[in-house]
Amino acid sequence: MTRLTEPEDDEMNRILSREEEILPSSGFAVSVMDAIRREAAAPPPIPFPWKRALPGLVVGGFGLALALVTVIVAIVLGIRASMSAQFSVSSSVLTSILESLGGGFQRNLEGAACWTVLALLVAFVSVKLSMRLASGRA
Amino acid sequence: MSANDDQTDVERVLSGDIPAFEGLVRRWQGPLVNLAYRFCHDRGRAEEMAQEAFLRAYRALGQWRKDAVFSTWLFALATNLYRSELRRIPARTVPIEDVPEPRDPRPSDGGLEEHDSDVVVRRAVGALPPKYREALVLFYFHEMDVTTAARSLGLPEGTVKARLSRGREILRSKLPQLLTVQRLKEAI
Repeated sequence: MTRLTEPEDDEMNRILSREEEILPSSGFAVSVMDAIRREAAAPPPIPFPWKRALPGLVVGGFGLALALVTVIVAIVLGIRASMSAQFSVSSSVLTSILESLGGGFQRNLEGAACWTVLALLVAFVSVKLSMRLASGRA
Repeated sequence: MSANDDQTDVERVLSGDIPAFEGLVRRWQGPLVNLAYRFCHDRGRAEEMAQEAFLRAYRALGQWRKDAVFSTWLFALATNLYRSELRRIPARTVPIEDVPEPRDPRPSDGGLEEHDSDVVVRRAVGALPPKYREALVLFYFHEMDVTTAARSLGLPEGTVKARLSRGREILRSKLPQLLTVQRLKEAI
């Protein structure tokens, strides 16, 4: 047991130790026990069906990622096509430009895929955590 | 004796004997209601918070690991609940800057009325920032035992000591006149 015994705090200690004591009202224990009985009689909370939901969530996540990748690839191909139609520069120069652009887009695609996976993971962890917190409080 | 009774009651409740929980309620209702009252200074709300604390204790009874006595676990659970309840709906307090100095620190009998000084100091404690107020409330509730206060707050002893020190410092700076007069009164 550790005690603070600084003499200059004596007055404060005396005042704050003199806090009035209250008695619980006569029906308090009965009221608590009623609440406990209601709690005991209530059916347990239904747990979130993770086993059933998980495959759906995983498939949904992959579907979303696939859709994103498809959209990005379509944009890249569209840009490539419009560039080849509009500019009549020499084929070697165009090829080299497209190759460099393609490399850039490829890198961007990889980056986007990584970010998508990371975002999905973060979303999954946060959902899991909030469910756990909610079930702990329930 | 009480610790053994607590353990017996807990084991009975866990084995399905729900009415055995009443033993725990009867033994700990006074301390739990009083602790809540020190946080909110409202009898009705104190009882509501204490009831919720018992309900939470009932739900979490299986989580008591018996490495500490039941009361330590119960106080930590109740303290945690009271703190979050008061963060959600704060008790009615006045800002520390608005806590009035004692009306007349030297009344006709040459000393400060005991009741006045108590009221002013408690108001000042109530107006402290929560982390200092909670440390002070728990410290005095547990009869100036830092170790028990720290366990109830779930904080290291050093942190609680630092918060107590800072809380007292704020009170001393807010109420220098009061404390000086009180000291003089006791010296006479």
